[in-house]
Amino acid sequence: MMTNNRSRNRALVSFIVLPMLFLTVALLGGLRVSTQDHAFIFIAPPLITLVLAVLLMLLFVRGRLIELRIWVSGSYSPLTNIGHSWMLLTLFFASAQAFNSALPERGLLHWLFSFFFLWTLWNNQFSSFDASRLLRSLGALFGTAFVLKHLLLASLYAQEGGWLQRVAGALLQGVSLGTLDAPTFAPATGYISFFTLVLYIGGLLMIMFATHEDNGKPAQSVVPTSHQLQPLPDCEEIKARAQMFR
Amino acid sequence: MQHKSIQVTGLVLTAFYAAFIIWVYATEPRTFREVANSASVAAGSYQVDQEKFNAALALFRRGQFRASREQWQQADPAQSDARTQFYIAYAFYREGWGRVYYDQDLFKQGLEKGNHAIALAPQGPLTVDDPNLQMRSAAELKSELEQGMERGWSDLNPLKILRTRK
Repeated sequence: MMTNNRSRNRALVSFIVLPMLFLTVALLGGLRVSTQDHAFIFIAPPLITLVLAVLLMLLFVRGRLIELRIWVSGSYSPLTNIGHSWMLLTLFFASAQAFNSALPERGLLHWLFSFFFLWTLWNNQFSSFDASRLLRSLGALFGTAFVLKHLLLASLYAQEGGWLQRVAGALLQGVSLGTLDAPTFAPATGYISFFTLVLYIGGLLMIMFATHEDNGKPAQSVVPTSHQLQPLPDCEEIKARAQMFR
Repeated sequence: MQHKSIQVTGLVLTAFYAAFIIWVYATEPRTFREVANSASVAAGSYQVDQEKFNAALALFRRGQFRASREQWQQADPAQSDARTQFYIAYAFYREGWGRVYYDQDLFKQGLEKGNHAIALAPQGPLTVDDPNLQMRSAAELKSELEQGMERGWSDLNPLKILRTRK
């Protein structure tokens, strides 16, 4: 009975909850609210976010957050494979839209942020990661981008800000010869972006737990971390040393 | 069996949701009301507010073109009714028409609305059966607006002041 419930819940999460959640991220990731008339503005994902999403998907596979053989396998029914592939596709678009939500819309800042995302993801491709460490790293990455874009930059370019803010904004514009120009949006945009990124990270956590359960063991890297290493009994250690120095 | 039903339900639900998201990004509605209007247009259940339409028509016949346009815009918030868009274009034409010169800005807006009305009537040429109008087809209205925006030596002809508004 318990196994039955677990299996049903797992199916619900894999086939309904996760795709719905990632599609919601895909919907909200490009949504901005205009300052003038509070109208919706939908910004389709720029090409760079698709490139970043591809790198992130590779990182998910390398960090074993997504174990492809668990999600897609020849031993599953075609319907299961289609459902799981669909979930992975929604994850890809959610990743692209999560980047879209955290990136400034235009100007030099857009390219600076894109470059830093690209640099971080590219470097991470060559690091040893486990799923939980990868998630922590992603949380920090998106969190930093969110704070920079929706708190720091938004307050610098806010039209209703104080004179000091406006002077700082104008100085920044002048120093950068206008290349740091960024569109201003209503404060609701920041709330939407926060909700989107929280949903996205929440979805990734759910995937991690699902993978963890499916494996029957914690998701981990091929290279063991120091706390995973167990000391050998004395006799075994002597034998091992003898083998090494023979 | 139970899993299969979950899988099928999940795929169907999420496919519809994905289609909705693509549609939202394609149509770019600006408010929740626009979302609802666009959805009813897509579902084929959209209808113009007839009361507001008639009020606008009355204003149009009294020569209050700007007010009539506003009423028609309220009657057709989704801008999806070809007949209403035709009338809005006509109101731009009548307001922009002058015995000595045509208001180019109003004619330009009229032409945009006229083209939009033609695009909304894919089943054939758009005609409006209204005895009070001299131009009853959208093609005729479009041609009149285009001619009004053209510049030429004939504009200097003094006899042009004898022309009549349609």
